Formats: sequence, structure tokens, C-alpha cells
Amino acid sequence: MDPGRLPTRSSSPLPGRPERGDTLADILERVLDKGIVIAGDIQINLLDIELLTIKLRLVIASVDKAREMGIDWWEGDSTLQSLDGGDGDKRLERENRDLRERLERLERQVGTTGE
Amino acid sequence: VSDELVWAYGVVPARAALSVHATGVAGGAVDAVTDGELTLVVSQVPREQFDAEPLRANLNDLDWLERVAREHEAVLDEVLADTSVVPLRLCTIFDDAGGARRMLDRERDTLARALAHLDGRQEWGVKLLVDGDRLAATAAPAGDQAHGEGGAAYLARRRDERHAREVARTLAVQIVDDVDTSLRAHAVDAVRLRAQNRELSGYTGDMLLNGAYLVDDGEVDALHVTAGALQDRYDDYGAELVVTGPWPPYNFAAGEAAAQPA
Repeated sequence: MDPGRLPTRSSSPLPGRPERGDTLADILERVLDKGIVIAGDIQINLLDIELLTIKLRLVIASVDKAREMGIDWWEGDSTLQSLDGGDGDKRLERENRDLRERLERLERQVGTTGE
Repeated sequence: VSDELVWAYGVVPARAALSVHATGVAGGAVDAVTDGELTLVVSQVPREQFDAEPLRANLNDLDWLERVAREHEAVLDEVLADTSVVPLRLCTIFDDAGGARRMLDRERDTLARALAHLDGRQEWGVKLLVDGDRLAATAAPAGDQAHGEGGAAYLARRRDERHAREVARTLAVQIVDDVDTSLRAHAVDAVRLRAQNRELSGYTGDMLLNGAYLVDDGEVDALHVTAGALQDRYDDYGAELVVTGPWPPYNFAAGEAAAQPA
């Protein structure tokens, strides 16, 4: 993955700011996770998409320094509640463990070898 | 069995005049399937890549996925320039035009409602990134820290560091709230998305906010002015607001129900 080749569309220029394009993250978070879901004739196994999104989430969870500052609302909480103390880190560890277990289960089910 | 399948991008009003020049996913020509008041934007894709079995393997190949996601997005971007669109999730695929038409008939009410909700509105994304070190330094300047050697000074430094972290944390929450609240004032609907991972996004700062806002056409300029003002307000903290859009309204396509409470 080379972040350098990502931008395509120009983002809206703020005065005095360099323009930045949409990143792969911008696009994937929308086309995979959002958009209206309608059953097509080709039944894709949703496990397959889930497998990939779980991988993406694991990377987020393991590198994001924002979490050190207690910002973890994207874990389903929009009110920035758990800001006091290290509870967020414990929750992160737990969630990471859960995600890894789910990932392994899913990989066994779909018969891929993972990374 | 045909060698081709029908890939669906999104739903638009049948009366809309479309002019799409981008090639579709896997190089197919963009076409339209209409049933009643609704038109599905489609193109043909090769069965050998997009039938259930090969698709399963392809979806787990990030390069393949990136290519297809960008092709899907490029078509929707062009459609968006002409009309309101209900974007479909990646990999909505039909055997043939007949299957696509039957879907339009079956989902008529849901799709018509979604189109009505999105008419005259745009989805914009705003991310707030901060430089964590600069934020901490601004919150608690190093000059205030205790100096010297020995146990007491050490403990004092530890206490100061803890205090600085608390201050930075509180400040971060205040900034996020201010930015999100200010932007929501221009929106009819808004969601906070998960922070993006660095490898995919290429951003080095800490992503404190990744918001999507559904904005009336007439309010878009005001949203940009506000974003510019917020940028100025938090420049000193190493903050950067990144505004992207307009997007196909992925985050609001499911109608009112898609919105999370503010």
C-alpha cells in the first residue's frame, strides 16, 4: 500500500490550505460500510466483506494514537464518554482480542490463509 | 449462461438526464435500466471475476478492491453532478437487466423515499487532525515543569506530566465538540465515522473527528466558511480540518434512520 498514489478527487480548498484528495480510506469506509444494501442476484457471502473490514479495524485499533488521548467514540459511542483514565485501553485490548478471534474463525470458514 | 453480469452503482430518478463519461467497473460501458420512476445505473462486468466464487477471493485482494472501489466511486461522482443518487454498496450484482428491473420494482418504496430525502442535499466529509505533541505542548508548556534531581523532583515531574495529559485530553474533547457542533449547525443530518487508519489514509496526525454531514445545497458555502473559521481558530494547536466532497450520500442513503443521534 503506497499512500502516495491515493488522491484522485480534489477536496474543497480552504483558504491558504493545500488541496488534498480522497484517500483509499475515505472511499472504502463509504463503499464497503455504507450505501444502501440491496440483495442482488449474486449472493456474496457477507462474511467475505466482514473479513476485510475487520482487518481494517484491527489496523486502526492498533496504531491510532488518538486513543492515548482517550478519544475512542468511533467504537460506537458518540459522546466521548470514556475519557478518564485507562479504561479505554483495556476496552481496546479486549476488543482487539475479540476481533482477532472473530477474524480467525472467519478465515477458517472461508478457507483463506490470511496474511 | 451469459459471460456478463450486471453491476449496479446507484439509483436515480428516471427523469434525470445522465451524462457519464467514465468507464465503469472493469472497463464496462455505463448504462441505465429503468422501471417506472426509477433508473438503476449499471454496467456489465465479466462473470469470471464477479461471480460469487471468484468475487470472494477478489474482495480479499486489497489492490483489486481498491481498483473496483475507485471505479464504482468515479461513476457515482459523475452521476452526482447530474442528479440526486442513492448509492448502492459495493458488489450489488445482478444476473441480467431483468434481475435489475425486478429489484427496482421490489424496492420501489424504499428507493423513492431515499431519493426524496436526498433531493437538494449534499454529503460532505470533514476530518479533524491534530498534532498530538503540539496539542500537549500548547496545553502545558514545558517551562512549567519541575526541574532538579532526586526523588521529590522526579515525583513532581511525574505529576506535571500526568497533569499535562489531563489538560491535553480535556482540550481535545473541547475542540472536537466545538468543531462538530459548529458544522452540525449547517447540516440536516450528521454522523461520526470511525477514525481512519494511517496506512490507508496517509495522514500522520491524530484523527479526532471523522464526520459526515448532509447539507442543503444552499448551505454548502456556509459550511465551508465555518470550516475555514474553525481551521483558523485551532491553527495554533497543530489542527488541520480536511473537507472532502460532495460525496454520493453513502452515509445518508438509508434515509432518516441512518442518522445517529447527535
